Amino acid sequence: MYRRLLININQVRNRFIHTHNTRLTLPSTKCKERESFAPVTRAPCTARPLGTSSISFSENKESSTSLSEDKGKTPEENEVNAEVNTDGQRNTEMNEGTDISNATLTSQLETEPEVKPEDSKQLEKTKSGKESLLELLGAMKVEVTTVRKIRPSKTPRTSERPDQEPMESTHSMFQRAAAEGSQQHGTLSSALVAAVSAAASTLPNRHQAESELLKQLRKHEAIPDTQRRADLGHIIANMKVGKRPNGRSNVRPTSQIRFDDDGKGYTQDRGITSELDGVRRRKSPFTSKRLNLFAAGAEQDTLSDLGPTLWDIDLANQIVQATNQMPRNGFEEMIQWTKEDKLWQYPINNEAGLEEEASVPFHEHVFLEKHLDESFPQQGPVRHFMELVITGLAKNHHLMVQQKKEHIDWFRDYFRQKEDVLKEAEA
Amino acid sequence: MASSCSQALKQHVCKSSTILRVHLQKSWPKRSFVLNSAADQQPAVSSPEEIVIPKKKTWSKEAVLQALASTVSRDPTASDYRLQDDPYLTPKTSSEFKLFSLSQESGKNAAKYFINTYPKYFQKDYAQPHIPCLMPETLEAQIEEVSEAALIERIHMRKVKAAVDLYDQLQQAGTPVSLDVTNQLLDLICFYGDSDPAQENVPEQRNEETEDVQDEPQTKKGRASKASDQLKAAWKENNNAERIFALLSEPNTHSYSALIRGMVKYGAYSKAFSTYTDLLNNRLKADVNTFNALITAAPEVKEKYNEKWELIVDLLKELAEQKIKPNLLTLNGVLKALRRCGTLGKSQAFPVLSEMKALSIDPSLASYNHLLGIFYKPGAPFLGQTDILQEVMNEVSGKSFTPQDPDDAQFFITAVRICLDTKDIEQAYSVHELLGVGENWRLLGNDLQQNIYYARFFSLLCMMENIDVMLKWYRDLVPSVYYPSSNIMRDLLQALDTDNRLDLIPQIWKDIKQLGHANRQKLVEDLLTLMAREKQDQEVQESFAECALDIKKMYDTGDRGKVIMSWTATSLSDVISVLLAAQRRQDAWEILKLFKTHNRVPSEELLNKFLTCVTESGEVNHAVELVQISAGFCLPETPKLIQRVQQEFQLSEQQKNILSDLEIQTFNSD
Repeated sequence: MYRRLLININQVRNRFIHTHNTRLTLPSTKCKERESFAPVTRAPCTARPLGTSSISFSENKESSTSLSEDKGKTPEENEVNAEVNTDGQRNTEMNEGTDISNATLTSQLETEPEVKPEDSKQLEKTKSGKESLLELLGAMKVEVTTVRKIRPSKTPRTSERPDQEPMESTHSMFQRAAAEGSQQHGTLSSALVAAVSAAASTLPNRHQAESELLKQLRKHEAIPDTQRRADLGHIIANMKVGKRPNGRSNVRPTSQIRFDDDGKGYTQDRGITSELDGVRRRKSPFTSKRLNLFAAGAEQDTLSDLGPTLWDIDLANQIVQATNQMPRNGFEEMIQWTKEDKLWQYPINNEAGLEEEASVPFHEHVFLEKHLDESFPQQGPVRHFMELVITGLAKNHHLMVQQKKEHIDWFRDYFRQKEDVLKEAEA
Repeated sequence: MASSCSQALKQHVCKSSTILRVHLQKSWPKRSFVLNSAADQQPAVSSPEEIVIPKKKTWSKEAVLQALASTVSRDPTASDYRLQDDPYLTPKTSSEFKLFSLSQESGKNAAKYFINTYPKYFQKDYAQPHIPCLMPETLEAQIEEVSEAALIERIHMRKVKAAVDLYDQLQQAGTPVSLDVTNQLLDLICFYGDSDPAQENVPEQRNEETEDVQDEPQTKKGRASKASDQLKAAWKENNNAERIFALLSEPNTHSYSALIRGMVKYGAYSKAFSTYTDLLNNRLKADVNTFNALITAAPEVKEKYNEKWELIVDLLKELAEQKIKPNLLTLNGVLKALRRCGTLGKSQAFPVLSEMKALSIDPSLASYNHLLGIFYKPGAPFLGQTDILQEVMNEVSGKSFTPQDPDDAQFFITAVRICLDTKDIEQAYSVHELLGVGENWRLLGNDLQQNIYYARFFSLLCMMENIDVMLKWYRDLVPSVYYPSSNIMRDLLQALDTDNRLDLIPQIWKDIKQLGHANRQKLVEDLLTLMAREKQDQEVQESFAECALDIKKMYDTGDRGKVIMSWTATSLSDVISVLLAAQRRQDAWEILKLFKTHNRVPSEELLNKFLTCVTESGEVNHAVELVQISAGFCLPETPKLIQRVQQEFQLSEQQKNILSDLEIQTFNSD
């Protein structure tokens, strides 16, 4: 995962340079889109520094979202806005079909909540690596947390990027590379390589980062488009699955950013206490080298075909036995009973246990005449009797519809058997 | 509540776009009013402002109760909730507590046994809606014919023998059994090691047939099977599992997995590895459970530390090759194995943990427990590794853990043991604080483990903390969660001594009596020595005297059946000095007589002290009698006592005679 994030960082970086003159802080759309439509996007962006890039982009594509909407204050409007945005994004994705690169992947990833804490954390960490990266990451973080929010004022950015000049060149190179990229998938263009090396040069461990980046890019180039899209779906699915029960933000993913060196260059800027904490942590053995046996990204969901096996049940049992499951107060005991289904469930519902009846409409219960039509006489004492029966059944709330039908059927059978007697009496 | 909310959100979210989901979840943690359901807590992302109100919220069935339960905190003055049945029965000592909880459990089991044995009497279903768990379970197989359905039924009822027989019958009849069902059967056989599981609720009477045969061997058999459960009956050569496995034309991963896990569970470690080689030869992939089992078996098959570790690394590599994602149990298994790899463990433990985190597997408490176990071997001297616990506590503090591994429950005990060994009170506090976070209290484990934990925590407190803080903890924990042992009470007395708060002894004595330690001779003697050692204020001395008399009663009566304490010379003299210090000569006099009845010899010092006291009151008779007692024990001090009495008292003629007689006697005996 982290490699992808690394690439993400660099791409954002590139885009950043892109949009630098536009003062746009939120480069959340795909970088290739941006590149191919660079002249188009840039103009509105300069005009509206507050909008997110995705918003501005969708406006370009559809010109459906207006700025006034964008400025809306209520959460509902926000929501609408967000949906519009996603629609816009989707559309563009559809349009560009084959052009989806790993950049889209990563930008999609950005919007995933699961990745986000890590993302921002990680980004935060890399700050001290280099000044420029720090600045850029700060921007990233803001973007991540306020993707679809109207910010009351522009994010204060007192930034001066020392490596702005060289990056300008990479920008243009990257643009070219992107233009070519759609044609030639098999090999990496030299421009791309150059862009990567430029990006890598900002990182402390230059060569390693570069080679990693290139490897990653190549990997993505090799993937056919269809598979890529499946991959996207796959990743999203994985995101949903990979939900952490415990607050993930507490977990310090320090080991995950070990991609460039011993991790000494990184600190967290969260007050003095955490600074001190960080000092301690830097020496912490928890950030030591890992075994490097497993590829971090390789996710293979273990398929459980037949539900829990005996072993799983036993494991659960062992865990229960090992831990203290005694209730500490009356409410906890009630929770236990609820779990065992011994207690009426809260919130109280007087239809509990009648789930199968929930789908049956009331008129099935009340209007039972239709069941009388076929085999009962149209008039006479039997008819009269049966009408009384269905009236009674209609008012009976203890029986299910099926039982009511059975009741009527019983009478039907009964009268059929006694047909002779009835005829005799009537005739 | 948080769980229900997040569930509602999940449903909501599936319909809406992914982006919207980010939105909702981001805003959510701000609104989780109740944080007790740690399992469902969202990552706390800080995004203020926005609150998205969902259109419909589905509550989980426990949400309301969880919210209510979170409002109740522990009451240190009340006993545990499950003991509150009847105030009369509320246990006050640890043995009573044991009795209470055991009888509660066995009552439940007895009820279950009767319901299951006589299901025909328990058919009336009062509950509306129906409550399945209150109805008798069916323990007899319903399907009689020989079919796959019957086999499945027997597998579900965990009847190993019956299932195997049925499988054989099916094979003989030529009916094919599907691979899934066979795998389930293999699971069952391997899990129970090819013998019927001992029925949990009915330890004695298995079924009527064996009961009819003979009573004697039957009970023996019951015991034997229980013992063998603990010893883990060994894996037998060519047992049913292997036989059925051999019958399979195309065993799949599941079949191999079942077999290997069974072999590992029942100690056939090398066989498990050869089965694994078979699996590889058949070009099948193993599953993560198989690897977990093999990793646990790895330290058993190799002798040397580095060989063990290499084997584990090889297994992990194969795991990676087969593109299987390891789970928490895999890595906990590796750490556990590392505990048996000597010094290698120390170098490899942290890389394993880092690997774990790189795979975004959150370590559970068991992982940390193994880590602590690697670095702090019990009994061994620790060589400047105090910071490992510090590091671990930095990692875990403030987190709420959910039970994921059976070893999770060991963490707190290990941590507090290390604190006790290193005398690190601050760390112990942070461990205790961690215990209070979220649902972590569940991970403290069963009653026994709780007791060990509190005993260690408490003795550390006695050792390191000043008396006021310690007493605060004492009042908080005893006896609502912890019944201290007599050793801990002695530690407490020592703490009182070091902080010069001996005036609290009478209170502590009351607690000791309530906790049922009043018949522990060593403890009582310590208590008496402490009281007798120094002279206290009048008031305190008075209460000491009361206390001493109370203790004397304990010696006299000796609770029915319990061990009666016997007076020793020191304890008697301690009681006397306490009483004398409180000017209770009459009581002291009574005690003095006990020396004779219990054949103990008073010390000279005591007699001198007594005499001084008698002198103050001027009771001549007592003085003479004291000399007589002293002479009775043939103490070398007697002549001096006689001298003192002759000098300090106005003696009558008769008394003078008695004394001179005694003088002659002692002179002669010398």
